[in-house]
Amino acid sequence: MQFINNTFFGIFVSVVVYLIGLYLFNRFNNFFLFQPLFVGMILGIFVLWILEQTLGVSSTIIYDAFWHGGKDNFIGANLLFWFLGPATISFAVPLYKRNDIVKDYWVEILLSLIVGLFISLIIIYLMCRALNLSDSEIASLLPQSATTAIALPLSTSIGGIPAITAMTVILNSVIVLAIGDQLVKWLKLDTDPIGIGLGLGTSGHTIGSAKAVKLGSIEGAMASIAVIVVGIVTNIVVPLFARLIGLK
Amino acid sequence: MNKTEKERIAEEEQKDASPVIIQLGIFAAVLFVSNILSVIMPKAFPVPVPVWGLIILYVLLTTHVVKLHQVEKLSGFLIGIIGVFFVPSGIQMYKSLDLIKEDGITLIIAIIASTIILLITVTFTARLFISISKKIRNRRA
Repeated sequence: MQFINNTFFGIFVSVVVYLIGLYLFNRFNNFFLFQPLFVGMILGIFVLWILEQTLGVSSTIIYDAFWHGGKDNFIGANLLFWFLGPATISFAVPLYKRNDIVKDYWVEILLSLIVGLFISLIIIYLMCRALNLSDSEIASLLPQSATTAIALPLSTSIGGIPAITAMTVILNSVIVLAIGDQLVKWLKLDTDPIGIGLGLGTSGHTIGSAKAVKLGSIEGAMASIAVIVVGIVTNIVVPLFARLIGLK
Repeated sequence: MNKTEKERIAEEEQKDASPVIIQLGIFAAVLFVSNILSVIMPKAFPVPVPVWGLIILYVLLTTHVVKLHQVEKLSGFLIGIIGVFFVPSGIQMYKSLDLIKEDGITLIIAIIASTIILLITVTFTARLFISISKKIRNRRA
């Protein structure tokens, strides 16, 4: 039991499972299900679950040990999580490098994001109804285009369950990372780098943007701008939409 | 104007990267100010610290207060390994396993579908708008 109350436990687990994912991804010719993040996530959850079973302690104790090194420590995997802040502001650089595109197309970019987001909300709502989800589950899914810090309070304010919203935002990134660019190619939507970038940034947040940066400079810049604009637009549009469909 | 801007960026890219400590300093300063701004914002309209930071650093770069070579290396490094930073968030879902047990499969299907809906709708809308505007621009030219 003592060995998991260790500030390096969470960091160690996170890095090792990611490296295993990276190894499998390279070994199996970049097969999309072996995306390092996806494999790492599943393996990590599995490791914590095994520990919970073998040590016979509650999941909260295991989770606390993972997240902040147990009851005596403050730092664990949350140190890696903290770096998402500096990593997110880093996207200012790819954005600045394609300032030419931003200056030429900012009206189209803003319009596409606002209109695209609104249409998505309608389709997502209809799909949730078709799947027979409850009102609170629908309210949890609607804010997902924003980053966690915006989406969670928003979800609460329209009657959603923050934990489901948090899970949704995380899964967004993983899904976009795994199949995002392939999907765009299959549907032959890959003719316009601005479109791809905005799509990846909106649906996959910062992780989607990291993928976009790899695809090209325009894609990367557009994904970065999507992260900023969509967060703010979601804040305004989702409460209105929720009222429109009578959620709360 | 546009061309000089492009040239300027190309020129900045040529310069030697600033020492890591200076790059860290700029990042720390930006995040510090972002944090203050984020606290000042009304609760009903939260703008998270990283989003403020992204906006501030972008404005600083665009106004040439901060030069590309002063932040490029660190930002490239952080973006390159962002996947690792995200692993704890993914493993965090361990806490929500009970949620999945209840409504399980349907919820997961809904989440996967809505991710794809967002991706496709926004990509498609943007492509449509850009192609329309290109046609209008061409006609004017």
